[in-house]
Amino acid sequence: MLYALMGLGLSLITGILNIPNFAHGALFAVGAYLLVSTVNLFGNFWVGLVLAPVGVALLGLLIEYVGIRRLYKAGHDYQLLFTFGLSLILAEGIIIIWGPVGISHLPPAILRGGVDLGFTFYPKYRLFVMVLAGLLVLATWLFLEKTRYGAIMRAGIENKEMVSLLGIDIHWLFTIAFALGAYLAGIAGALTAPIRGLSPGMGVDMLGIAFVVVALGGLGNLLGAIAAGLLIGVAQALVAAYWTEASTAVIYAVMALVLLVRPQGLFGIR
Amino acid sequence: MKKSTILILLSIVLLPFIVRPAIASEIWIFAIFGLGLNLLLGYTGLLSFGQSTFFGSAAYVAGWLLKHYAINVFFALGIGVGVGALSALLVGYLCVQRSGLYFIMLTFALNQLFYFSAYQWTSVTGGEDGMPGVPRPEFLGVDFKNPLNYYAFVSLVFLFFLYLMKRIVESPLGKILVAIRENEVRAGAVGYNVPRFKLLAFVIGGAFSGAAGVLYAMLFGIVPLESISFVTSGNVVFATLIGGSGSLYGPIIGSFVFIWLSESVSTLWARWPLLLGLAFVMVVMFFRGGVVEAWHRLVLKVNAFRN
Repeated sequence: MLYALMGLGLSLITGILNIPNFAHGALFAVGAYLLVSTVNLFGNFWVGLVLAPVGVALLGLLIEYVGIRRLYKAGHDYQLLFTFGLSLILAEGIIIIWGPVGISHLPPAILRGGVDLGFTFYPKYRLFVMVLAGLLVLATWLFLEKTRYGAIMRAGIENKEMVSLLGIDIHWLFTIAFALGAYLAGIAGALTAPIRGLSPGMGVDMLGIAFVVVALGGLGNLLGAIAAGLLIGVAQALVAAYWTEASTAVIYAVMALVLLVRPQGLFGIR
Repeated sequence: MKKSTILILLSIVLLPFIVRPAIASEIWIFAIFGLGLNLLLGYTGLLSFGQSTFFGSAAYVAGWLLKHYAINVFFALGIGVGVGALSALLVGYLCVQRSGLYFIMLTFALNQLFYFSAYQWTSVTGGEDGMPGVPRPEFLGVDFKNPLNYYAFVSLVFLFFLYLMKRIVESPLGKILVAIRENEVRAGAVGYNVPRFKLLAFVIGGAFSGAAGVLYAMLFGIVPLESISFVTSGNVVFATLIGGSGSLYGPIIGSFVFIWLSESVSTLWARWPLLLGLAFVMVVMFFRGGVVEAWHRLVLKVNAFRN
């Protein structure tokens, strides 16, 4: 479910802005670290969970407004270099602020321990993450499908020139889309923190997965991103149960296999 | 001889007097790596963000063979070229079917596949610690352990690959690749099999990367995990862009700038990737077009000033 969140955010950004966002993983990591800091500051997990992704969204707003906005005409090579440079800066910034050593972070007291589901025993926190991530994906989907702003965004994916011809400020749309994508990455990071702990390299691992999800689901195809995120998550969990070492590589192997059979991705049309 | 040839030969001779031979060798090795990427990025218009896949794979395979069997440096180089080309064939086959952002993402994702394989396969690759103990065996009495001898070897290999690349981009094949960059649909309509030519460019680029990877492994005596990571892929993109993609000599200039930059900032501060990232961002914001174009602009300004 977290993969779906990441993929959804990246799919929004790449689909609407048409840029390769290599800073997406770094935004994810920043979200996780911000959660730890806000929780330590306010002593309350829920405050952190609300504030951390908002912080990442603001960071995304700033990045788009100051940098990416000037690069839409620059070609993918320079956009890539910019976001790649940005991800280096953010990753090193994390090391400078929070230190190079990994941090572990406990879930809030109320979500520790497990619940008996009858057939299996499942950690409460993971169950919470699944439900919340599911709700977020649903909310994003409803926003994009049922609201006016969502309709504008989908129109932006289809045809940017037409949207701006209709009198809609396309720059504003881009900024909002980037901030929304950053928000989704930030909350995915914040939710991951208590499960996997934190390390400065956590962003890069996630970045690769997010790209796989988008490549499988199709650029700007939001349902595709959700489905591909679930597929990858399940595949990884299944392999991890039998051959732990290969669980990361298997994500990419699944992608390679799918693309061999269907080069356009699972749901891609382009 | 042309001016550019003289300039390159002159810098090959002078460079070891200015910087340590190891760094001088690294510059030419990175230049070979950049030449390979430039065929894709500059000539064919394919932005590959996974070049370290071929660089690293070749370094691991040839390094392992060098460690365990008494193969000579030329054979190791050949192995590197072969492994680079073969891995590029596998990766390229999947990637060339898509274009634009998908292509970039796929090259990156498959780069990650190779990275994690190397990371986990510790019995061979040493995982995070890298694979140390790659020797530089002597050949026909020439002792390559001597840094200057090895530098001479690297320079010769570089010249060979530069010549090869010059022949490639000036050949009909090079023109077809440029045609694909300029207008893919039209190139296809004229009758060229676009995916196959893209794949061919990819394989050639991979072969160059592989050669660079082996030279790199022998230079430092170790194959670090970083050599197959996406950071290396990003670095070569940066070097090629800062030198100016699309010109034959751009990546060479870029390699100079990049190695010089990373060598000088890495001694300054342990958090030097931060500075490198800043440099990337600055280049994109203010120096788009790279050194070659900045130089052209400077010449124009000077001429305008004179008049």
